[in-house]
Amino acid sequence: MTTKLFYDLFALAVFAVVIVVGVPFLMGFDGFELNTFARYLALGIVSLALALSWGSAGLLNLGQAATFGMGSYAMAMHLKLKASGDALPDFMGWNNVPELPLIWIPFHSLGFTLLAGLLVPAFVGGLIAMFMFRARIAGVFVAIITLAFLVAFQLVVIEQQGITGGQNGLTGLAPLSLLGWSVDTYDVSFYYLVAGCLMAAITVGLYLTHSKFGLILRAIREDADRTRFFGYNVANYQTVIFCISAALAGWAGMLYTLVLEFASPTYMSVSFSLAIVIWCAVGGRDSVIAAAIGAIIVNLLEGRLSDVFVEGWNLMLGVIFVLVVMFIPRGLHGLIGDLWKALNNQSHKQRANEAEPKLQPQPVKSGQEK
Amino acid sequence: MDVILNQIFAGLSMASILLMIALGLAIIYGAMGVINLAHGEFVMLGAYAAWALQTYAGFSIIVALPFVFLAVASVGWIIERVIVQRLYHRPLDTILATWGIGIVLQQLVRLFVGAESRFVKGPEILSGNIEIGGLIMSNYRIFVIVFSLAILAASWALMTRTEFGMKLRAVIQNRQISECYGIEAKHIYSITFAYGAGLAGIAGALITPLFSTIPTMGTGLVVDAFLVVIVGGLGSLLGAATASVLIGEATALFSMLLNDTLGRIAVLAGIIVLIRFRPKGLFPSNTRR
Amino acid sequence: MAQLQVTDLHVDFGGLRAVDGLSFNVNEGEILCLLGPNGAGKSTTLDLICGKTQPTSGSIRFEGTDISQLLEFRRARLGIGRKFQVPSVYKELTVAENLSVARSRSPGIWHALTRFSLSDGRVAAPILERVGLEARASEIAGNLSHGETQWLEIAMLIAQDSRLILMDEPTAGMTIQETARTAEIFRSLSTSHTLIVVEHDMSFVRTVADRIVVMNRGAMLAEGTIEEIETNDDVKTAYLGH
Repeated sequence: MTTKLFYDLFALAVFAVVIVVGVPFLMGFDGFELNTFARYLALGIVSLALALSWGSAGLLNLGQAATFGMGSYAMAMHLKLKASGDALPDFMGWNNVPELPLIWIPFHSLGFTLLAGLLVPAFVGGLIAMFMFRARIAGVFVAIITLAFLVAFQLVVIEQQGITGGQNGLTGLAPLSLLGWSVDTYDVSFYYLVAGCLMAAITVGLYLTHSKFGLILRAIREDADRTRFFGYNVANYQTVIFCISAALAGWAGMLYTLVLEFASPTYMSVSFSLAIVIWCAVGGRDSVIAAAIGAIIVNLLEGRLSDVFVEGWNLMLGVIFVLVVMFIPRGLHGLIGDLWKALNNQSHKQRANEAEPKLQPQPVKSGQEK
Repeated sequence: MDVILNQIFAGLSMASILLMIALGLAIIYGAMGVINLAHGEFVMLGAYAAWALQTYAGFSIIVALPFVFLAVASVGWIIERVIVQRLYHRPLDTILATWGIGIVLQQLVRLFVGAESRFVKGPEILSGNIEIGGLIMSNYRIFVIVFSLAILAASWALMTRTEFGMKLRAVIQNRQISECYGIEAKHIYSITFAYGAGLAGIAGALITPLFSTIPTMGTGLVVDAFLVVIVGGLGSLLGAATASVLIGEATALFSMLLNDTLGRIAVLAGIIVLIRFRPKGLFPSNTRR
Repeated sequence: MAQLQVTDLHVDFGGLRAVDGLSFNVNEGEILCLLGPNGAGKSTTLDLICGKTQPTSGSIRFEGTDISQLLEFRRARLGIGRKFQVPSVYKELTVAENLSVARSRSPGIWHALTRFSLSDGRVAAPILERVGLEARASEIAGNLSHGETQWLEIAMLIAQDSRLILMDEPTAGMTIQETARTAEIFRSLSTSHTLIVVEHDMSFVRTVADRIVVMNRGAMLAEGTIEEIETNDDVKTAYLGH
């Protein structure tokens, strides 16, 4: 356990150095390039959020994009109000909405927005979780229910044009001002803001997975019934991790809106939800760091390759995903872990051979019958 | 009154399409517990196969059906052999793998056929409508309804009245013991998967005159078909049939009362609640797994 | 008053009466052995007490409270622990982690969120020593042999420290020496715990049982000490079929 913690903290330290020093240096501190990379980092957070529910607790949430979307819309609503000043947001006028809908009013406040971006997804995630887990829904049914919820939720958002901007989403946003600092998303400082958020999210994830809470979740993942007989309220544990995961996804969504400067219902699409699952699977769902790295790697590749092979990229992504699921179900993290173990065994054997040469009757091997 | 009758007919028409798509899915899910998210792409392949046969060989949809069935079934057979077979013991991973396969198939079609919408003509004999008072029923839709019932009956007979069906049921109940009696479970699974895929292909071919044929057409359909299967109950053909009528009619009804989008939302919400309270569906199979 | 009072318990499985009018009491600190031919309803009785199965009718009172409608985790919190016939340990967790999960005196989420699993190590060591697994604390439980897995589950129940422990065939697959050691552990457990043990190994039953309940076709056939049971005619008929 302690060695595992040490290994994770070491990985976090290396990752932090790469993200904080390595990447900006490689990009030549170029604001535009770093903005693109900040997008990957924001997606890293939603990927690690999925790793918490899917990896630690075995709950495959195919509706992660919905909670991500809630966060992104919360932020977009605040920035839209800011851009509109005292006037009604433009799209409301086009949709004949006479005055600002009630649910928009509190988003004038940044504090409320930040809280809502975390708590609304957590609350909705918690409701769905309670609904499912009290009835002991598990396995593929969790995947199907969350998927159906996502489809319904996206439909609602598109349907309610007057409030959400419908198909177009929320565009024409003002820049965020945080404690008097007007955030320029093409500035190095913005990259550090997102990087800091990712590090904080990883730290939260590591804390959760290494606490007894994380242990109980792994126990539930393996055998929920057995865990009940030890007195644990399994539904509550599952609900709490679902809430935390949803809140982190909302957080990622808020950052994503900041990076792209708009919010769109495509963030809540089935294919986006699938993309999150792919990143998480490629990186390795057992580790929050690996899941975040998975998102960064896949998106980095997509950014580089999708210009070269426009249609081919999605094909390659599909093939890679199928191969990952088939041959390295634990992702890159699992692959590296296995290689590491194999190397260790090899060196152990060598050391054993060197340490006790007298006990090894050498000629036996050559003398064995074939 | 006429509005209601027409809505009921629209609901039935939708139910028949759902049923055809869901049947293949229900058979695959019931037989091997595989949630095949590539099923929508099988439907799409069927639609494109029908388009290709009509465009390049001049086949009418009805003539093309057997060829479409064979073509999509062989794609399904290959996919089962190469990929799905390795994942039977990991149900959650089959969801992911088949999802990935779906993306691949979709992109392949996009690359080689193109992303634009393709048009397929309905058969001439079935053009026109039957009108009873204010109720207007298109002949083609009536044909699809009848055809879906025929496929339901054929599949039911295959599962219960043939040696293959008996072997399949034996494998579903206990794979090890069946293998001891010389039934090749692997074979049975491959054929079942291929059959389910072939049915999806037929469904795809039949809906070409009603839907636009585009590479992404399967994505929306698979979610609905899945809900039909889950609502109907694990692998129950009768359940799938009842559930498709239920969902088809409910969608038509809510669409009339509210609007299309809200109708769909209401149906999805209803289904979620139903799964919550009856996770084994309306017609759970009463054998222990 | 008896610690556990089972009164007129019935359970139907789709027409099959697995338990049919069963009543018995268990006193604090005693070891009660449940005997009976296959299909007599012994495991089902344990399932009913720990909450895995809901009774059709009848009551189960534990330390005065009726628990027959409570969810299983509530019963566990009241002080009922269960060892399953097929050893149920977490095969993906290490031995020490298994014990840490089992040690559930505070099963709440807040407690779990503010503790690190390694802090349970001090408690785990003496328990592992008791069952002879002290050298394998950091082994993944899936790598243990069948016998070791049995020991691990017993160790987990010791760590859980329930006042009433239900043991379903604890010595299945154990060697004679291992069985003897299990008997020793059970005797020492019974100073502070109550045990209900389902077991087929008569020599084991002879060593540990304070009292025996023999079941047949879901109901109680006989009750008493080992000598009384061995001379009971009904029991002979049930086992020999005459």
